[in-house]
Amino acid sequence: MMEPEIVIKADNVVKSFGDRTILDGISLEIYKGETFVIMGGSGCGKSTFLRHVIGSLKPDSGKIFLLGKDLSKIDENEMDKVRMKIGMCFQSSALFDSMTVGDNVSIGLREHTKLDKSVIDIVVKMKLEMVGLRGFENLMPSALSGGMRKRVGLARAISMDPEIVFYDEPTAGLDPIVAGVIDKLIVDLSKKLNITSVVVTHDMKSVFSIADRVAMFYEGKVLEIGTPEEMKRSKNPMIQQFTSGSPDGPIRFFQQKDDYLERLVA
Amino acid sequence: MPVKIGNRNGLTICYVEGEIDINTSPDVKKPFDKLISSKTPKIIVNLSKVTYVDSSGLATLVEILKNMRSYGGKLKLSNMSSKIKSLFEITKLEKLFDIVADEEEAISTFV
Repeated sequence: MMEPEIVIKADNVVKSFGDRTILDGISLEIYKGETFVIMGGSGCGKSTFLRHVIGSLKPDSGKIFLLGKDLSKIDENEMDKVRMKIGMCFQSSALFDSMTVGDNVSIGLREHTKLDKSVIDIVVKMKLEMVGLRGFENLMPSALSGGMRKRVGLARAISMDPEIVFYDEPTAGLDPIVAGVIDKLIVDLSKKLNITSVVVTHDMKSVFSIADRVAMFYEGKVLEIGTPEEMKRSKNPMIQQFTSGSPDGPIRFFQQKDDYLERLVA
Repeated sequence: MPVKIGNRNGLTICYVEGEIDINTSPDVKKPFDKLISSKTPKIIVNLSKVTYVDSSGLATLVEILKNMRSYGGKLKLSNMSSKIKSLFEITKLEKLFDIVADEEEAISTFV
């Protein structure tokens, strides 16, 4: 059997903000074409890790390799070339409200290529078709629902045919049906276009419907990596608690009472 | 030059080479713009030496087709690899284009 091609590798990545260690030795590998989900509770470091992988943040120590490039060894120029091969779908959709849907989708093509406007317009129509928004190019974002805005964000993320698409909480704030639509889109696009998808989420329904493999983050560490089925069968009580959504267990959701009182008088 | 232009049986045949992507699409389009400005009636695009097509490449071919249709011109795509053909299928473009197996079929169905 052929070895899978590694497109992202994190090697003992550490990051602190002040005295808080957010990433505490993260090591993982993500393979070409897979949908890799990073799950974990709020503040576990998953979004911070994502920002390191796309080069927005630099680790205090450790290394990240993206599409074969050691991010610690490349300059901004080379980083820009790598960024051309990735797409980012933001939690808030991050659309420009003053631009039409079409202009939002085409912004990368207009800024970074010499393509004729007429060709770009066709690419926009093709991408909107892929996310089920045919004929929406002239609408303003304010006319769209939350789910539609997410889909526009997705069309923009794939506008330049990226090799990897990163999704930060793609289903946050959406009703279960729309969330299911977004999940299906992620899977469909990944398979059809052979895109590697990296999804950061705490939506367990999403995890089990889209992931080829899952990494569970907790307090800046990787607890376990495996298929969704392996996660369901995990004996790790933290993973059991997270996958079942139980408030009782080893994962603490509240500060210790003593710590609260100390902080009040600090 | 990513496009070489030939002539067989009075038909214009464009041989495209290499990748048709974000970087090369503008150069691929230029010779077609010339053919379109002279209202070339029938064009065969031979894609046998095309190794990769991205969305901008597909859009460039759509734009060429659209511009040819404006004066009643006809376009056929031939010698497509299975990999590239599947891309046309995924994007539903196989229904938009007249795709034929090879140059011979393109010529015989054009005449």
